[in-house]
Amino acid sequence: MAKEMIAMLLAGGQGSRLYALTQKLAKPAVPFGGKYRIIDFPLSNCVNSGIDTVGILTQYQPMVLNEYIGNGQPWDLDRLYGGVHVLPPYQKASGSDWYKGTANAIYQNISFIERYNPQYVIILSGDQICKQDYSDFLRFHKEKNAEFSVAVMEVPWEEASRFGLMVTDENDKITEFQEKPKEPKSNLASMGIYIFNWDILRRYLIEDEEDPDSENDFGNNIIPNLLRDGREMYAYHFNGYWKDVGTISSLWEANMEVLDPEHSGINLFDEDWKIYSRNSGMTGHKIGLEGVVENAMITDGCRIDGHVKHSVLFAGVKVESGAVVEDAVVMGGTVIQSGAVVSHCIVAENVVIGKNAIVGAMPKDGEKGVATVGSGVYIGDQAKIGPNAMVSENVKGGEEIW
Amino acid sequence: MVSSNANALGIIFPNSYDSLVPELVGLRLMASIPFAGRYRIIDFILSSMVNCGIDNVSMIVRQNYHSLIDHLGAGREWDLVRKKGGLNIIPPYSEKNIKVYNGRVEALASILSFLKRQKEKYVVMSDANIAVNFDFNALISAHIESGADVTIAYTEDRIPQGLLQSNDIRDMYYTFTIDNGRIRKIYMNSQEPGIQNLSMNIYVLNREQLIDQINRAYVRGYTHFERDVLAPQLEKFNIRAFKYEGYCARINDMKSYFNENMKLLKDENLEALFGGNQIYTKIRDDNPTRYINGSRAKNVLVADGCVIEGDVENSILFRGVKVAKGAKVRNSILMQDTVISENADVEYVITDKNVWIGNGKELKGNDSFPVYVAKNRSV
Repeated sequence: MAKEMIAMLLAGGQGSRLYALTQKLAKPAVPFGGKYRIIDFPLSNCVNSGIDTVGILTQYQPMVLNEYIGNGQPWDLDRLYGGVHVLPPYQKASGSDWYKGTANAIYQNISFIERYNPQYVIILSGDQICKQDYSDFLRFHKEKNAEFSVAVMEVPWEEASRFGLMVTDENDKITEFQEKPKEPKSNLASMGIYIFNWDILRRYLIEDEEDPDSENDFGNNIIPNLLRDGREMYAYHFNGYWKDVGTISSLWEANMEVLDPEHSGINLFDEDWKIYSRNSGMTGHKIGLEGVVENAMITDGCRIDGHVKHSVLFAGVKVESGAVVEDAVVMGGTVIQSGAVVSHCIVAENVVIGKNAIVGAMPKDGEKGVATVGSGVYIGDQAKIGPNAMVSENVKGGEEIW
Repeated sequence: MVSSNANALGIIFPNSYDSLVPELVGLRLMASIPFAGRYRIIDFILSSMVNCGIDNVSMIVRQNYHSLIDHLGAGREWDLVRKKGGLNIIPPYSEKNIKVYNGRVEALASILSFLKRQKEKYVVMSDANIAVNFDFNALISAHIESGADVTIAYTEDRIPQGLLQSNDIRDMYYTFTIDNGRIRKIYMNSQEPGIQNLSMNIYVLNREQLIDQINRAYVRGYTHFERDVLAPQLEKFNIRAFKYEGYCARINDMKSYFNENMKLLKDENLEALFGGNQIYTKIRDDNPTRYINGSRAKNVLVADGCVIEGDVENSILFRGVKVAKGAKVRNSILMQDTVISENADVEYVITDKNVWIGNGKELKGNDSFPVYVAKNRSV
């Protein structure tokens, strides 16, 4: 039985601009929004859109991601036929290759896709926070009789030159593609989410692989080749919340936006579009007699005896009495000891912040740095971590890092 | 050792002591009473069994078990989806000439053929009216080392008021005299004051011996395992007591339900119950709890999926509770999806699932008599 559409999720990215956060895990596995990881968003979108077959292409530091995905049960993707499959590069009779580019990653898994003989393949990116109904995208693709469709967002004209842009006619048909142009002719930025007719995708992947000069990349090679051949290409306008969380500041910002769903548009409290995740299994969170929580998101296992203000705390975070946490993203299992002040920063998993230590600072004088502490780091008592610091090694008591 | 699993199967009686909390079991049974913010009381014994490697667990339900089946599903969250063993919920047959079982003997008689087919050497049995992180392996080891025929876990406690004043003498409770670890006498529904050896109704015994005893008891028309099987044979069999000294929350009436929840607001109690092995429960995929500007929270245990805009203190909030702006919640237990509307004021209140308290409503019980609002009610 053929599947109408299956998803291929690109999750091999190193996320080098998240440096301290992605030393030991791939970017799609980076925690987000209190109890999620980035990859929960595309996976939940798939399930909520009726897509039950997802190939996840992994390459960089896949261990955490593999373990997290497991058999796919938390996303209801443990299926007899289909379900979720993690697809790392593998050795073939003719040799072995890492995934050379996004298109090559799909090329190396043509046989996986063929097992399901789909009419359409949707290519997803594992490093975006976005709630999107892919079935509506597919409806558009079919209505237009398209061979290729790309989801696009309108971006402010002054920022357009940072994006890959789709120039379209009045029927949303794509006439030109500009990759980060100096003089943008459009403000429709590609979200890196594509629907292909499978026969077309297959043909272009094979052709692209035969080209020794190709970078084997969708944006740089496949899309220009489709345009060259005058294929039926359409741009699907998406108006919802979308954020590429590729940098520390955008990741921090997206987390803060979760605290204000009324204005930011990222609503995790949506019964009709749940975001699924692997559960921590911890007991409820506890706010103590002296604890103060203002405008924050707190999840299972947290123990709050200090002051938490405008922050997102992940499972099992402890904030001891006298500690202050403000404008911070604090990931699972981290302990903030008494008197420590943690502000305007991202603290990764299982960090210990010693007594009276200072991590980050509230912005002033136009300085808007987001201090970052990598996972498992120990910050000694009275240590000071400056607002632009990126810490991935233990810091001794009293030491200062800027 | 290849397998760390206990060589035992588990049997749970989810309806035991239903009569003690008639309000809470109107639409459910003892085992599925919500407890500690995100659990049902069954989660504790069931997780304890699973954490000791008991992966063949049967529940002999009697009535009102829809909520339990809904909660447990196939048993995945407890890792009990197994080809061999796993979770096995046994409802009564609905046939004209079969009556719903009375007592453990009749319950066990209904699954004798199942018990005969199993391979495990031992059987552990428990009710589901206690929240405890119980080490069944310690119980089984003590049982094997002592060479006992039956070992029963107990705590040293006063007999709770709820049991002393129970309206239904059929939900019996048991106390022991113990001599050198051996139970010499079993008392039923004792009214003795002071500290007693109070049974937890957790048993371990040899599977084949259990089958033999149930066979003999059933043909004689016996119903109660303790009264009819154990008590008369204390001389013949070596029936021993296993003292449990860990944290144990017993649900005996509304008062103890309220108090045992509230006790978990003390860090040391929370740690004592949850600090050991993990307690599993049904996953709801709620988002984290959101505290909105202007909210105030002090000394509260809160599950995921809540939205707090009002003022909550000394309370337990289950999953998906909403406390609107200006609302005040004090010393209360709000079960799943309770809504406290704007400017409502509740104190010493237990709201069951899906309760809605309207704008500005005031609802106050007191320390010794919390107000209970039944499931799906609007106030």
